[in-house]
Amino acid sequence: MSDKKGILVVGEPKNGRLANVTLESITKARALAGVLGGPVSVVLMGADTKPLVAAAGKYGAERVYTADSPELATFRPGPFVDAAMAAIKAADPALVLCSGSPDGRDVAAGCAARLGVGVLVDVTGIEVAGGKITVTHPCFGGSTIVEKEAVASPVIATVRSNVLGREEAAQDPEVVPLSVDFTPAGLLAKIVDVVSESAAAISLEEAAIVVAGGRGVGSAENFKLIQELADALGAAVGASRAVVDAGWQHHQAQVGQTGKTVSPQLYVACGISGAIQHRAGMQSSKCIVAINRDPDAPIFSFADYGVVGDLNTIVPTLTEEIRKRKAAS
Amino acid sequence: MNIAVCVKQVVDTEAVLKLDPSSWRLDRSVNCILNPYDEYAVEEALRIKEAHGGEVTAVCMGPETATDAVRKALAMGADKAVLVSDAALAGSDVHGTAYVLAEALKTMQWDLVVFGVRSTDGETGCVPAAVAERLGVPLLSALGKVVVEGAKLTVDRETETGYVRYECPTPAVLSVIKGINEPRFPSMKGIMTAKTKPIDTKDAAALSLDTSRLGSSGAKTRVLSGRSPEPRKAGEKIEDDGTGAAKIVEYLTGKKLV
Repeated sequence: MSDKKGILVVGEPKNGRLANVTLESITKARALAGVLGGPVSVVLMGADTKPLVAAAGKYGAERVYTADSPELATFRPGPFVDAAMAAIKAADPALVLCSGSPDGRDVAAGCAARLGVGVLVDVTGIEVAGGKITVTHPCFGGSTIVEKEAVASPVIATVRSNVLGREEAAQDPEVVPLSVDFTPAGLLAKIVDVVSESAAAISLEEAAIVVAGGRGVGSAENFKLIQELADALGAAVGASRAVVDAGWQHHQAQVGQTGKTVSPQLYVACGISGAIQHRAGMQSSKCIVAINRDPDAPIFSFADYGVVGDLNTIVPTLTEEIRKRKAAS
Repeated sequence: MNIAVCVKQVVDTEAVLKLDPSSWRLDRSVNCILNPYDEYAVEEALRIKEAHGGEVTAVCMGPETATDAVRKALAMGADKAVLVSDAALAGSDVHGTAYVLAEALKTMQWDLVVFGVRSTDGETGCVPAAVAERLGVPLLSALGKVVVEGAKLTVDRETETGYVRYECPTPAVLSVIKGINEPRFPSMKGIMTAKTKPIDTKDAAALSLDTSRLGSSGAKTRVLSGRSPEPRKAGEKIEDDGTGAAKIVEYLTGKKLV
């Protein structure tokens, strides 16, 4: 066994706050620290990370490493790996938790390559027994659940959003500023523009509720029915592959094997048949409600509540009912 | 501009994926295809080549049967291919795969290495970053747009709310996402000429690979056990008689979801 100690969470900045998956990872780290040993550390990377320190502490970070540099103002794989490596060197942790987002995977994979260790991706559970860390990973679209371990230390894992749960546990963290030596190759990529086209959109991976539309929606114009229901519920909008391939929705909205994997509290599937490809991306939702005209659609074989009928009449009425309830409360 | 496109053969996305319980490795005896994300990588490489000249080489690590996936890349228009194939490679994880691809790429001349953003079976999305690290060149990942001018790249990396635009000189490693282009279907002529295009098959010895880093035994991660999840059961299903929406609200209220 190595003498590495504690857990380092690589914080993911998101529109001026910490991503939920970071807060969920800190919460998990705190629980694991009881068996694995502490401390629970978080590294924050950015142009000015000061505003994020309190959030990390609120969820139980005992130590916060801050990597502040203009080079870290916007995500770039190289410099972010440099900063995460500086924190790994300083903390010498037994376990490193990164976000399961594209950014988090680049950082995890880059650090693992530099350290010559493995990377455990998309984990939905972490256990420690006898000093050994094992993770749970749903693979092949959730059709198989595997338990995995890393055979080298530190263990680096990326965590799926919206699964581990988060709980506040206020700490007044010790703040340790890091100085980062940036690798020249990574700095060759220069940021020339940061464009935000839909700032108000709810993150699909973080959303507690997802309203998704499939081929049954009928047209790009008709997708407004899905959007309106999503707005009423405070939900993110998802789509099946057929919808994205038809150009009715941006591919960023695609849920499924060649899209995103989501685990919301509630998934409302409208006009989605529930083919294996789509199921792969949403079957870990806590509750699935399906609306489909075809009584034999596969979605009804795994939805918690199914309505056989025309979404063109059901969805607008549902939107209206939800709005009324919200207005009344 | 010479471009290496890294491609993988994956289990058909229409097939049910299963693990072999004796090895916890993926059962690849079912129908296999070129990783759908890699089609975008091949298409992007071909577009760059068509605009700027040069050669596109498909690079693949996999069993000998992976030639089918490689031939698809050739049929789309790649000029030639390198297939790294060796029994010792079976069961490699990200660590081993990135090592093998990087060693293969070090023996080649390229300005760009292009990947699909992830494979549809392993789904780690980590190999491009690990290869870039091993090659010591910048990684530009999850790209929705690539523009090449001379030795300068201008690329857009998609974010949840928009994109970040980067400029970077070559050489670089890129990963591209679905939607960056519309991959072409191989033409009949393409399929025919693909059969005559060279596939350079190399084993571990040909690349002087350190076998201790390869395959299941060299992997840095290990599957301990696998199981099928508790199957989701069908819940209540009703016919809409005009009260469907109200019943959904009632159901969600009961579950405290609204």
